[in-house]
Amino acid sequence: MSRFALEGVHVLDFAWVGVGPITTKYFADNGADVIRIESAARPDVLRIGPPWKDAMPGINRSQFFASFNTSKKGITLDLSKPKARELAKRMVPWADLIVESFTPKAMRNWGLDYENLRELRPDLIMLSTCMQGQTGPNALYPGFGQLMAALSGFYYISGYGPGSCTPPYGAYTDFIAPRFSTCALLAALDYRRRTGQGQYIDMSQYEAAMQNLAPALIDYFASGRVLGPRGNASPRYAPHGAYRCADEDGNERWIAIAVAGDEQWRAMLTALAADSTDRRFATADGRMENAGAIDEFVGSLTRLHNAQELTAKLQAAGVAAYPVENCVDIHQDDNLEAFGFWHWLEHKEMGPSPYEGLEHRMSRTPGTLRSAAPILGQDNDEVFREMLSLSADEIEQLKKENVIF
Amino acid sequence: MPSELLKGLRLLDLTDEKGALCGKMFADLGAEVIKVEPPDGCSTRRIPPYLEDIADADHCLYSIAYHAGKKSVTANLATDDGRALVADLAAQSDFLVESHPLGYLDSIGLGYDALARKNPRLIYASITPFGDSGPGKDYNWADIISWAAGGQMYLMGEEGKPPLQMSLPQAGLHAGGEAAVAMMIAHYPRQIDGLGQRIVVNMQACIVWTLMNEQAMPFLHGSHLTRTGVFFGSADARRKMVYECKDGHISTLIAGGTTFGKSTIALIEWMRENGFGSDWMRTKDWFSWIPGIFMAMTEQDHKETDELEDTVQRFMLTMTKQEIYAQALKRRIFLAPVATVADIASDEQLKARDFWTAVPHDTIGRTLTFPGPFAKMTATPIGSTTRAPRIGEHSDEIYRGLLALTPERLNKLRAGGSI
Repeated sequence: MSRFALEGVHVLDFAWVGVGPITTKYFADNGADVIRIESAARPDVLRIGPPWKDAMPGINRSQFFASFNTSKKGITLDLSKPKARELAKRMVPWADLIVESFTPKAMRNWGLDYENLRELRPDLIMLSTCMQGQTGPNALYPGFGQLMAALSGFYYISGYGPGSCTPPYGAYTDFIAPRFSTCALLAALDYRRRTGQGQYIDMSQYEAAMQNLAPALIDYFASGRVLGPRGNASPRYAPHGAYRCADEDGNERWIAIAVAGDEQWRAMLTALAADSTDRRFATADGRMENAGAIDEFVGSLTRLHNAQELTAKLQAAGVAAYPVENCVDIHQDDNLEAFGFWHWLEHKEMGPSPYEGLEHRMSRTPGTLRSAAPILGQDNDEVFREMLSLSADEIEQLKKENVIF
Repeated sequence: MPSELLKGLRLLDLTDEKGALCGKMFADLGAEVIKVEPPDGCSTRRIPPYLEDIADADHCLYSIAYHAGKKSVTANLATDDGRALVADLAAQSDFLVESHPLGYLDSIGLGYDALARKNPRLIYASITPFGDSGPGKDYNWADIISWAAGGQMYLMGEEGKPPLQMSLPQAGLHAGGEAAVAMMIAHYPRQIDGLGQRIVVNMQACIVWTLMNEQAMPFLHGSHLTRTGVFFGSADARRKMVYECKDGHISTLIAGGTTFGKSTIALIEWMRENGFGSDWMRTKDWFSWIPGIFMAMTEQDHKETDELEDTVQRFMLTMTKQEIYAQALKRRIFLAPVATVADIASDEQLKARDFWTAVPHDTIGRTLTFPGPFAKMTATPIGSTTRAPRIGEHSDEIYRGLLALTPERLNKLRAGGSI
C-alpha cells in the first residue's frame, strides 16, 4: 500500500489565486505530484497578498500564497512566449489532470485549451474554473472571491437587520467551490478508470457557491420570499447569538450560545446562577418572539463571566456554547490542538510559519502538509531536467530568453 | 437520469444538518444515496423555514434542498432489528457518512470497526464539531457554535456590536462538502487495494479554513483583525468594501498595482464622465500605488483613500445595483452587487448557462426551481435530480430488493417499530 491516498496521480496546475490552487492542494497534500506553472511576468496575485513574513511584502513572503500551495512543486514559464507553451505542452502526456483558473480566453489564446491538449493525451481530465463559467455573457468578467461572495448572495444575508450589510471575512466563496471541483475531478478519475474516457469540467465558482444557498433560492422561486439580514436571530433557537463576557487584558470577549427548548433554557439559567420571572420567556415560542429582549437579558447575565469558564459550565449543563474566538485564540484552542490542526513548516525564504492543517483525518492513508509552498521557480532545474530531459545548457539558455521566467 | 459518473456506488447517509450536503453531492455525481432515518423522520425534516410556512416534512426547505436525489429508508436504531438492518445495508455499501454524537454508533454496533469487519471496503466518515479527542469532543452543538469556534464570527459585524452569523447557517454545509472530498480521496486507493477506512471531519477546522490565512496575522504581523463592518483590513489600514446605492449595496475592491490599477482607473474615468471625482484621482499613477490593506498607510494615503471612498459612495447613491453592475461589466471594474436571491434569480449569466433546474414535487403538487449542477462535465453530465424522498419512501424497495426481505418479515419489522 502506498503511503498517501493519491500517490501516482499527476496534476499539471496552471491555476492561480484561490479556488484552483486550493483544489490542487487537496491532491498535493494527499500525495499526488502537483506541478504549478507560474511566471514572474504575471505572478499569482496571492504572492503579493498579505499576510507577509515580518509584515514585509515580497514575492516569496506571502502566507496567503503559501497556505494554498503546500506540497506542490513550482516551475516558471512565461506562457505569452511560444517556446514556453511548447514546453508546457511537452508536459501534458504526463498529466492525469490539468487545472486552470484564468478568465476563459487565456488558455484558448495560448492554444492550451482542452480541445488542443487532449490531442496530446486523449484520456486527459481538465478542469477550468473561473468566476462565472466558460460560457454566457459574463464569462470573461474577472473577479475575486470577495466579490463573488457579494454576487452569490452571502453578503446580503450578513448584517444586523434590513439595510445593514457586514460581510463575512475574506473571499468566502473561495472556501466553498474547491470542494465541488475536487469531488468532480476525483469522480472523473474513477470514471476514467472504468471507461478509459477523460473529460472537460467547466466549474463556475458562482454556480458552486450557490449550493450553499439552495434553500433560500428554492424558497424565492416558489414563494417570492427574500432571505435577508437578521442579526443572530434564529427561527429555531432563543437565545441564539453572541453575548458579551468579561473583558480580558483590555480585550472584549464574547460567547456564542444557542438554546432550544425549555430544558436547555432552565439549564442555562442554572449554569448562570440566574432566574427569570419574565413571563415572555416562559415558553419556547415566547422566547423566540422576544429574541431582542432575551438577548439583552442573557447579555446582562454573561457580562461578568469569563468566556472559557462559562463555556465549560454551560456545556456541562447540556447547553451549546463556545467562546467567540479570534485569530490568537484559535492557535491556543485545545480542541484544534488535540486534532493536530496547526503545522509549522519551514519555507525557503519565510522560515517557519503557521499553516492550517487538513480539516479531516484519515485512518489508513492520512494526508498531510508534505512541504511548504515553493518559492517562485523553485523546482525549475529538477522538473525541466528530469521530466523534459533538458540539459543544463538548454535550461540556462531558456532562462536567458525569459522563457523559463 | 442519474449521472454515469459514480454509477454503481452506494452511500448510506446517517447525517443530520452537520452533513446533509455530503449525500446530496454524491447523488449529484450519480451514486445511489440512501438516507437512513428514524421512523418519525430525521431532525433535518423539522428545520424552519418551511415553504409557504406549512410546517411539515414535505415543506421543509432544508430537506427539500439537501435531500434531493436521495432515497429514504427508516430504521429505528433503538431496536436490535433496526440496527441489524443498518448493518446489513452497510455490508453492501461503499460509503457511510454520519454525524451522531461521538461514540453513539459504536455503542450500538454500528461503529467503523464493527462494520468494516463485515465490509472492509467501507469508507466511513464521521462529521464532528470538534474532532474526536479534544476536551470538546462531546460538546453540544448548533451551527453558530462552529461559526464562533472557527473565528469567522469574531470578524463579522461592527465594532461595538455583537459578532454575527449569516442568516443561513453555513458550518454544516462546509463540513458536508469536506466529508465528500475526504471520502472521494479515500475512494482512490480503494480502487487499487479494495480497502476502505475511517475519516473524521472537524467542523471547527472547516471554519478556520475560511479565514483566508488571517490566522497567521498574529505571528507575521504581530496583530490580528477585529470586526470592521463594511471595511476590510485593520482599523489603521483598511479599505471600504461595501457601498450604499439607490436600492441596496454594491461591493468593490479599490486598490492599485498591476492587477487592480486598471479597475481603479476605469472606476475613476466612469465617475469623471458623470462629474464626480477630483483631478488628482485622474493623474495619479495607480499602478504604483500600493498601500495595501495590511500595510502601514501614510497620512497622504489616508487622505486620498478617504476622499476616493467618499466620492465613490456619493456616486453609487445615484444608481441602482443593476445599473452599476451593468457598467462594471462593460468597463471591467472589480465590482459586484450585494445580490439578493431575487437578483440572483433574474441574473442573465445564470439563465444563459441554463443553470436553473425544474424538479417536480408530487408531494406538494408543484414544480420547484433548484440551483443546477455545480459543474458542467462533458462526458458525464451531473446534477440531474429528483425530489427529496418522503420519510421511509424507499423502505420497501431497498429492504426487499437489496436485503431480500420477504413482505412478511417487513410487516413484522414494521409492527415491531423497527421500520
